[in-house]
Amino acid sequence: MNRILDRLLTVLMLALLGWAGFSAVHWLLFSADWSVVTNNLPLYALGGYPLDQRWRPLVWIALLIVMTAVTLVGPRQGWLRQGLPALWSLMVPLGVVLLAGGLGLQPVPTRAWGGFSLTLLLTVCSAVLSLPAGVLLALGRRSDLPVLRLASSAYIEVMRAVPLIAVLFFGQLLIPLFLPPGLELNRVLRAVIAFALFAAAYIAEDVRGGLQAIPPTQTEAAAVLGLSPFQSLRLVVLPQALRIALPALTNQAVGLLQNTSLMAILGLVELLGISRSLLANPAFIGRYLEVYVWLAAVYWLGCTAMALLARHLEIQLDPLRSS
Amino acid sequence: MTVAIRAIDLVKSYSPGQRALDGVELEVISGEVLVVMGPSGSGKSTLIRTFNGLETLDSGTLDVLGMRLDASHDEREVRAIRQRVGMVFQQFNLFPHLSILDNITLAPIKVKKITPSLAEKRAVELLEQMGIAEQARKFPAQLSGGQQQRVAIARALALDPEVMLFDEPTSALDPERVKEVLDAMRQLAAGGMTMVVVTHELAFAREVADRVMFMDQGKVVETSDPETFFSQAKEERSRRFLRQMM
Repeated sequence: MNRILDRLLTVLMLALLGWAGFSAVHWLLFSADWSVVTNNLPLYALGGYPLDQRWRPLVWIALLIVMTAVTLVGPRQGWLRQGLPALWSLMVPLGVVLLAGGLGLQPVPTRAWGGFSLTLLLTVCSAVLSLPAGVLLALGRRSDLPVLRLASSAYIEVMRAVPLIAVLFFGQLLIPLFLPPGLELNRVLRAVIAFALFAAAYIAEDVRGGLQAIPPTQTEAAAVLGLSPFQSLRLVVLPQALRIALPALTNQAVGLLQNTSLMAILGLVELLGISRSLLANPAFIGRYLEVYVWLAAVYWLGCTAMALLARHLEIQLDPLRSS
Repeated sequence: MTVAIRAIDLVKSYSPGQRALDGVELEVISGEVLVVMGPSGSGKSTLIRTFNGLETLDSGTLDVLGMRLDASHDEREVRAIRQRVGMVFQQFNLFPHLSILDNITLAPIKVKKITPSLAEKRAVELLEQMGIAEQARKFPAQLSGGQQQRVAIARALALDPEVMLFDEPTSALDPERVKEVLDAMRQLAAGGMTMVVVTHELAFAREVADRVMFMDQGKVVETSDPETFFSQAKEERSRRFLRQMM
């Protein structure tokens, strides 16, 4: 009796899945009008970047893709593999210089930045800023000094209790008030700072989890060897804690990439922002489904690449699997 | 005969009314092996952990290689002592993220500012002395307990200490691994190292110790040469302990 029911259900499920799959593929291939995507690829990638300077963000994106490919499927040994950490840390300043100009490149104002290149820049810059801030907050929360401990805890608790979008608006309105008159930060930088301040609170908790997993005997062993408390932290405790926190930190990084889309509300024309302005164009009216399916695919690709890179890093840092 | 460690009236309690150390007095002579025995909770681990400042004192004074430690726990004095006093723990406490070689060279390079190549050469020598030179490139988790403990000894020796403290170095090992660690310690004692060893290994104490100190409830019950201690201990408390151990 049960077996007949099982078979019936299986057939039913297969039919449903098949039907859903068929309609999805049918829509993707025949019904959807992809001109809204194919005609605007440069806009999705670069936004309103000046036409004659477009090679700069393109070079940066291309380099990031090459670096990802080399890291994941490149040679396992040799100078290229050895130099990867240095090359990766170069990518952030390189991206800023390529987009902003300077060093002989023609300056491009931030309001001209946009599309996927802006999304990537926002993600990596806030990640690079928030990681050290998060580590310091985590250490502050475990400090012996009551003032430092309370201040760190209060910061973390408040930031975690406020929605990101509120922090972003506050950043746009409040950061200028804290700066001396005459000094003005542009919108992108303000967004990055607000974003990093927010992410730091979450990263701090992930790092704290890693720190808690390190037994106090490790600190003792470092101490009896004559290492100073700072050396013990830098050479013994933090490397182990960060390795433990890495899966959680990956989570944060993927979240960062997706949350950059909130900046569209602030008027930044990153990937989501540029898509919304395209949808407002009379030529592409009503093409919501195509645009959002396309966006989902691009974000999915970006997040998957990040997850794979993090997985790779995890294996690299695990002494038992890399040696 | 120079005194390496002199303790005068050491007192330490973790909770009010219960003294982990209750007026401990002792002298460790340079070049001797002092074995500290006693039931668990007798204060023997606490005692040797005060010698390099891992435990603070409530009162009393310690003279370690001419440096003074007391209740004020001067951080600079503590760090100076730690560079000249090595310690080996029950649980090895190797750094799991560093290779065996890096475990040993870390402190010489970072604390003593020895060049990496020189530190590495010395580390390989020490590993050879411990009989595990072929493990240099591996990581702690790939080694057996006995091998890890020998690495821990090599790591402590890499700072060229004048005194070595052993806190139950074989208690966490499989029985068949105990011998290789004790052999390494025998070799060290034969080389004239000043050693303070907390252990339950009676045979080791009998064979290697110059003196055996027996502790109970934070007090030194008696200190004798091993011959006397194991055949005709002075105090009834020591005899009762030995009867239970044998």
